[in-house]
Amino acid sequence: MTREEVFEEINLIFRDVFDDDSLVITDSTNSDDIEDWDSLEHINLVVAMEKKFNMKFNIKEVGQLQNVGEMVDLILSRM
Amino acid sequence: MNEYCFEDLEVGKKESFSVRITEQMLDSFKDISGDENPLHCDEAFAKEEGYDGRVAYGMLTASFLSTLAGVYLPGRYSLIQSVEIKFAKPVYIGDELTITGEITETNDTYGLIFLKVTITDSSGKKVCRGKMQIGVKKRG
Repeated sequence: MTREEVFEEINLIFRDVFDDDSLVITDSTNSDDIEDWDSLEHINLVVAMEKKFNMKFNIKEVGQLQNVGEMVDLILSRM
Repeated sequence: MNEYCFEDLEVGKKESFSVRITEQMLDSFKDISGDENPLHCDEAFAKEEGYDGRVAYGMLTASFLSTLAGVYLPGRYSLIQSVEIKFAKPVYIGDELTITGEITETNDTYGLIFLKVTITDSSGKKVCRGKMQIGVKKRG
């Protein structure tokens, strides 16, 4: 998958988790930009991404992510 | 009380228990919640509305999902993170409910289990169905 394809899939996951079909994320989007992005929804985002991309993360690496771009890069590094 | 840790659990694991709904439960729930809607408190009103009697609070029925997670699956080491529930049929005083949870998915990264939950009445009909997401302590 290209970075753009991964990004598009992640955007769909964000829309599903936050129940907002108009949500558009960018590389710099972080928890300050989405009101409902709390620790519980962070868990739900990671769980959804693990399922979508069929990969496992560890709690430390996903806890260090600063924004969506870093999340995309982490996924690409595992492919 | 069960004491399952995350490592003890796998997809397909199931637990259930039964409870009978009493008038005292409805009265206690009214006192705790402040919900004095007559559908739950007034027998005559409920019958006028076409029900067999006082209808048990949906959230009272759903409260047994707390027991399911906290006592049975996984038990001691649980933290409920989310509950989605649908109320399919009214529940009445005297109904014996069976609350069942089955693990449909686990997540190792966060130590989570996902349950399909059903609550059935004594005739076997589903009065509630839903999903739960529960954090479970890991041994490590």
